[in-house]
Amino acid sequence: MISVRKAVIFDSLKYFFFIGVLVFLLVLSSLHMNYNWQWYRVPGYIISYSPDGDVSAGRLIRGLGVTIKISVLSLVFAFSIGMITALLRLSSSIAARVVARAYLELIRNTPLLIQLFIIYFVIAPVFNISPFNSAVLALSLFEGAYASEIIRGGINSIAKGQWESAYSLGLSTIDTYFFIILPQTIKQILPPLTNQAVSLIKDSALVSTIAIYDLTMAGQAIVSQTFLTFEIWFTVAFMYLVMTVSISAFVHYLEKRNNYVQ
Amino acid sequence: MSSNIKNKIKSGKKPIISVRGINRKFPGNDKNNDIFAVKNVSVDIFQGEVVVVIGPSGAGKSTFLRCLNGLEIFDSGEIIIDGIPLNHHHKNLLEIRKEVGMVFQSFNLFPHMTVRKNVSLAVRRVRKLSVSECENIMTDLLQKVDIEDKVDSFPSQLSGGQQQRVAIARALAMNPRVMLFDEATSALDPEMISEVLNVMKNLAQEGMTMVVVTHEMGFAREVASRILFMDNGEIVEDREAESFFNNPVEDRTKAFLSKIL
Repeated sequence: MISVRKAVIFDSLKYFFFIGVLVFLLVLSSLHMNYNWQWYRVPGYIISYSPDGDVSAGRLIRGLGVTIKISVLSLVFAFSIGMITALLRLSSSIAARVVARAYLELIRNTPLLIQLFIIYFVIAPVFNISPFNSAVLALSLFEGAYASEIIRGGINSIAKGQWESAYSLGLSTIDTYFFIILPQTIKQILPPLTNQAVSLIKDSALVSTIAIYDLTMAGQAIVSQTFLTFEIWFTVAFMYLVMTVSISAFVHYLEKRNNYVQ
Repeated sequence: MSSNIKNKIKSGKKPIISVRGINRKFPGNDKNNDIFAVKNVSVDIFQGEVVVVIGPSGAGKSTFLRCLNGLEIFDSGEIIIDGIPLNHHHKNLLEIRKEVGMVFQSFNLFPHMTVRKNVSLAVRRVRKLSVSECENIMTDLLQKVDIEDKVDSFPSQLSGGQQQRVAIARALAMNPRVMLFDEATSALDPEMISEVLNVMKNLAQEGMTMVVVTHEMGFAREVASRILFMDNGEIVEDREAESFFNNPVEDRTKAFLSKIL
């Protein structure tokens, strides 16, 4: 017991030493640059107080809200697109397989930024799609392609015997997917799918290029007005970190809870 | 073909499984050299028969068995189960699978479901029975396979023998007219084989029509009403169990029996 506690203390010390060295180097380099740290100005961009005393979300928090909104919507759509594409690729219809494959190759082999521009500058004006919806569309299509490969791999990893026993019981293909294959697949693919969700949140920073006031755009605007370059970008990075780490933690919790005995 | 089987055909009794000249081939090394997993197999199986299929490995026993519920497609020939032709009509296939239960070598239980859900899923989804009807069926069945104290366990918490008995219960829950057993005891530890064989014996005594692929010669001798001996995809000998073991006719059968008995 005591030795365990000692190990924990020792590990913590090592961790703080490591962090301390990093901070020291950072401060040292900023001293060299004669950088004038003004952390005290940052909270104003997180919570803003209006002159008559009302408290409201600051610009960074409002940007964060937009990022979260885009990410959550895109996550839902990306998962749906991924699932449909995976099922199309596994279907016996040649047309379905070709369509799915074409979408996949097109999306995976072009840069997301270009896709975003094509949707925003070419497709959106034709169909009258708002910038926000263009962003969600582009991110969903992009991450959906990757999600579909993850889902397809997961479905393929399920033993053939599971299909056979389901079929031998007279279950339809849809029931077999729904009750037998997909529940086992989800468990398998939760970790790689989480990675994809984290990627999506990070990739969402690109939507700042099409005039959407997300977290990155907010950071950019504030920096160009105030020159608080270090403080604001560190804060922005920290906010992304909080989002992605909480997703990972949430999925970890789900995994633990759904851990049927294997 | 033994006289008894001929009599049944003559008497106009309809077979529950009727197989006419089915072939299952795989492309061989060159075009004219296909490999036949099942070659020109014809057989009639009647209500209440326990047909045990034996033969050396690679003889096509499992492939033949899997053709009977459409898990394996056959290239030519005809299979009629309980009056329904097994063909490309998906509806027929589902109809046949309702009536034909199957037990696999590797159990194939659904690992994410408890025993209760494993057994009840198809009954609820395919037979469309209510929860209470389902519970009644389940109580009986789990008692029959002697596993009623494990309803809320997951497959991974059960021994191999227990898992296989759950798999049998799962197939029986659909109230099938025919049961197929594909080497149901081959993956089991020796001490668990008998508990599964006992369940199968009881089932045979209750008059279930069974087609059993197995290497358990003791079971074949004791329980089978009829033996199909397969080799190289063909049925070499098809006779009543007693005369099959005591007076085999074909040379290949004799050679096989002398090796294993």
